[in-house]
Amino acid sequence: MEHKIMENLKYTLDHEWAKIENETLTFGITDFAQSSLGDIVFVELPEIGTTVEKGTSCGVIESIKSVNDIFPPTSGEILDVNQDVIDSPENLNNDAYDSWLVKIKLSNVEQIDELLNSQEYLEHCKKNS
Amino acid sequence: MGLKKTSLYNEHIKLNAKMAPFADYDMPLQYSSAKDEVLAVREGVGIFDVSHMGEFFAEGPGAHDFVDFIMTNDFKNAGNNKAVYSPICRENGTIIDDHISYKINDQKVLICVNAANIEKDWNWLKSHVGKFNCTLTNKSNDYSLLAVQGPKSENVLRKLRLISAEDFPYYSVLENTRDNEQYIISRTGYTGEDGVEIFCSHDFANKLWKEFLNEGVTPCGLVSRDILRLEVCFPLYGNELTDDITPLDSALKWTVKLKKDNFVGRNFLAEYSPKFRLAKLSIEKGIPRPGYPVLNKNNEVIGNVTSGTMSPTLNKGIALALIEKEKFPENKEFVINIRNKQFNCTYHAKHFYKGGHK
Repeated sequence: MEHKIMENLKYTLDHEWAKIENETLTFGITDFAQSSLGDIVFVELPEIGTTVEKGTSCGVIESIKSVNDIFPPTSGEILDVNQDVIDSPENLNNDAYDSWLVKIKLSNVEQIDELLNSQEYLEHCKKNS
Repeated sequence: MGLKKTSLYNEHIKLNAKMAPFADYDMPLQYSSAKDEVLAVREGVGIFDVSHMGEFFAEGPGAHDFVDFIMTNDFKNAGNNKAVYSPICRENGTIIDDHISYKINDQKVLICVNAANIEKDWNWLKSHVGKFNCTLTNKSNDYSLLAVQGPKSENVLRKLRLISAEDFPYYSVLENTRDNEQYIISRTGYTGEDGVEIFCSHDFANKLWKEFLNEGVTPCGLVSRDILRLEVCFPLYGNELTDDITPLDSALKWTVKLKKDNFVGRNFLAEYSPKFRLAKLSIEKGIPRPGYPVLNKNNEVIGNVTSGTMSPTLNKGIALALIEKEKFPENKEFVINIRNKQFNCTYHAKHFYKGGHK
């Protein structure tokens, strides 16, 4: 399966990308993920101000045929969610890296070290496809 | 244990289809986008490889009587060259499968059954054929099956010389020949649109597949097929129809003809009062899925979603749900519970979408 990976981003085993700027982590789903899901038709994101835990579902992405949990790459408080993606879920299919989902205030910086770099993520995708 | 492949497997791979196991077969789920495939069938024409379906033939002077006996619908009184949709039931009224039988001629019937039920159906039919003056053969592995569906299908079919008859009405069937290849063509389908299903040899199916694609027909997978049938409220075995309920529990009363000659399940169904009723429900924001609980306005669980999806044609969530008959709300107010959130439903007396079939 052909898909795009951005060199300057971090990744999770759940096929999410993450960008870290100062105390804020922005994340979305990867091109690999959107392509595997097919037509994305519904997105549910956490409420701003709530706190999410790494490894615990904080939202849902639904394609025509499947329901998929969103697992935050790190724990922390929700600073912002992307209303455009909620209104137009198909944006995730059009450009997954341009369509961020959630911004989290970092509370546990060590969790960033557990993220994959682009090369490690590429290897992970090869195993999964 | 490898998965079975249809004769068109290599074509699916060439088109980069997303493949998945379905009823022992590695089948195409979608080629490009399921949404685009749905719209192609609603507005233009699409082609499906449904060769995984089962084909049995009943042949001999007693073939019509046999098929009439094992189905709840009326086969005997259907016209020549007609197809009849019907459940096949046990003596206790529960559903073994739903299927279509085709009157090819007065001594030959094609019985087309669901892929997942081929073995179950075969054993069941085999156990009943002895009393009738006909033979029963399982030709499932010898036939490919193409479904060509959509408002523009007739033009393409005539151009490719696959329909020659002037008059080829909905639910009729013909045995035809083109370029020395024999095939069976019927004006049936699972999408609600005009279209045909073509039963033919594997070689001819490969030839036709390429011809249809050259005509600009959109290849469509099982995901769009499932959405298309749900939009027009055709039931799916395993979802709306199961081993545990009767046709009268799931909106198929019209297929149970108690006035015809005896048939398997008749005595039971004549006395039976249904336990369930099928509801057609839609929600504006949110997508119902199989298994989600359905509640009444008093928060009481009254049933379950059996099929649900986002409808690309209507742009909302649609669902079929089996509701306990005694709890079916008179006010038609239904709520579907999605991840512990309540969604008010619109109740539909008729199908969500009316296809353009002839």
